[in-house]
Amino acid sequence: MAPRSVNLWSVCCLLLCFVAAVFAGRDFYKILGVPKTASIKDIKKAYRKLALQLHPDRNQGDPEAQDMFSDLGAAYEVLSDEEKRKQYDKFGEEGLKEGHSSSHDDIFSRIIFRFLPQNQDRNVPRGNDIVLDLEVTLEEVYSGNFVEVVRNKPVAKEAPGTRKCNCRQEMRTTQLGPGRFQMTQEVVCDQCPNVKLVNEERTLEVEIEQGVRDDMEYPFIGEGEPHIDGEPGDLRFRIKVLKHPVFERRGDDLYTNVTISLVEALVGFEMEITHLDGHKVHFVRDKITKPGAKLWKKGEGLPNFDNVNIRGSLIVTFDVDFPKDQLDEQQRAGMREQLLKQESIQKVYNGLQGY
Amino acid sequence: MDGRSCTLRLLRNSILLSCLWSLSSGTEISFVTCGSVVKLLNVKHNVRLHSHDVRYGSGSGQQSVTGVTAVEDSNSYWSVRGVRGAACLRGTPVRCGQTIRLTHLNTGRNLHSHYFASPLSSNQEVSAFGENGEGDSLDEWTVLCGGSLWRREESVLFRHTTTEALLSVTGEQYGRPIHGQREVHAMSAASQHSYWKVMEGIFMKPSDMPGPRNGNGPVHTEF
Repeated sequence: MAPRSVNLWSVCCLLLCFVAAVFAGRDFYKILGVPKTASIKDIKKAYRKLALQLHPDRNQGDPEAQDMFSDLGAAYEVLSDEEKRKQYDKFGEEGLKEGHSSSHDDIFSRIIFRFLPQNQDRNVPRGNDIVLDLEVTLEEVYSGNFVEVVRNKPVAKEAPGTRKCNCRQEMRTTQLGPGRFQMTQEVVCDQCPNVKLVNEERTLEVEIEQGVRDDMEYPFIGEGEPHIDGEPGDLRFRIKVLKHPVFERRGDDLYTNVTISLVEALVGFEMEITHLDGHKVHFVRDKITKPGAKLWKKGEGLPNFDNVNIRGSLIVTFDVDFPKDQLDEQQRAGMREQLLKQESIQKVYNGLQGY
Repeated sequence: MDGRSCTLRLLRNSILLSCLWSLSSGTEISFVTCGSVVKLLNVKHNVRLHSHDVRYGSGSGQQSVTGVTAVEDSNSYWSVRGVRGAACLRGTPVRCGQTIRLTHLNTGRNLHSHYFASPLSSNQEVSAFGENGEGDSLDEWTVLCGGSLWRREESVLFRHTTTEALLSVTGEQYGRPIHGQREVHAMSAASQHSYWKVMEGIFMKPSDMPGPRNGNGPVHTEF
């Protein structure tokens, strides 16, 4: 009895192992094309790029693309959620709890709106566009960010009955008597199916791309004001970069100022500047630094919007802080001795030259 | 071109469908935050705060502010912003008792009040003032609400900081050219006419800000 059950048991084990190997679950990181250490931002970026390519509407009748698209949706749903990602990292796909919270169409439609080209049908009346200033910090321009917004708007829903639509003024001719007519103005309307406006909400996501510039716009088609007889307008986010207390932006370059002491200006110094993402930029100076001197650090500026691998420069302008207390006689003698090489100059000249 | 518009219609339909599904997921933001653009409904009279490029014919002669019955009018959007000198970061919930500015989205003028008489009821005139969102200290309003933060479903009061009058509507209607629009004014005493509620809009959620962690805190050397 015992040997036979052992055989059966080992066969069952083997089968289970085989089944498990086949259904071990998908490699979500591979599907998105990101390393296991990818940040949530990198995951979102990768998803957006692939989602556009693989969307079924763009790959009509390609069943492989359909499968890849649904894999992509599943991968994004898990890796974009901290909890689910942790579980997946430990236990794989099968270790995940059952049930999906949102359909893939849902996830896709809340961020992909802006890529839809506009339908130029002029005959359909359109609701107004909404243009909204989106304030972004220089840190966000440097590193990029995602902004979630909730859009609450009225949506036309079918209602029972009919309503008047396309109302216009028309001239009516009525006969008052033989050969006598009267023309009056009348408001004439058509009958349309009745609609009512119901407020609905959806979450949208705007990406603040690295290197984005002032007044660049991110449109969301159809998220503007509705029109009861036609189509809704668009919602456009217009970027407004806020002033920064440390850095000034000029194109892709960043400018900043540093005040150094007179001693540092004369004997040299070593310092660090904390950049927009927290990394430190190191400076060593062993020569004399004149007030107004500039130091250029290539590659420490902002990423270029069109190619984030290209960066501008960081330009540091130094100004010198002179000592506040007056020097006493001994110090003055010491100074004269130390800086003997530089004689009294006292050159008089016109510094304004017409300004 | 035909296939493209067909594709668009397909996408649009699927989007409408997913719209209905996403309804059940509920709202993910319960507070009104800085940077949000909202429509404000006067609860008693069921009109939305509105402005347009039409000036008062009397009083200050500044841009008029009215109440409209229409739900879909892009001239009823107001941007919730901090005051000058006390910038309110995008996505920060507005506290009850906080001073804010309400900037009319389409004209860039701020909700404003001053000691002028309103044209129909002779209450305190409320206008839209400034350029590109910058006006003066009479643009400041205090949000009065129950708890600690301005909740979206809550009816709140707006008290003009300098004159201490409350934004209200009492039902007087204009004739041409803004037929049917109600007068919006400020009154010294709060009443059922002074309650407002946010309705449609675009609400900013707080974001994780990239960058060095909260500036220059003390460096830990004990580790």
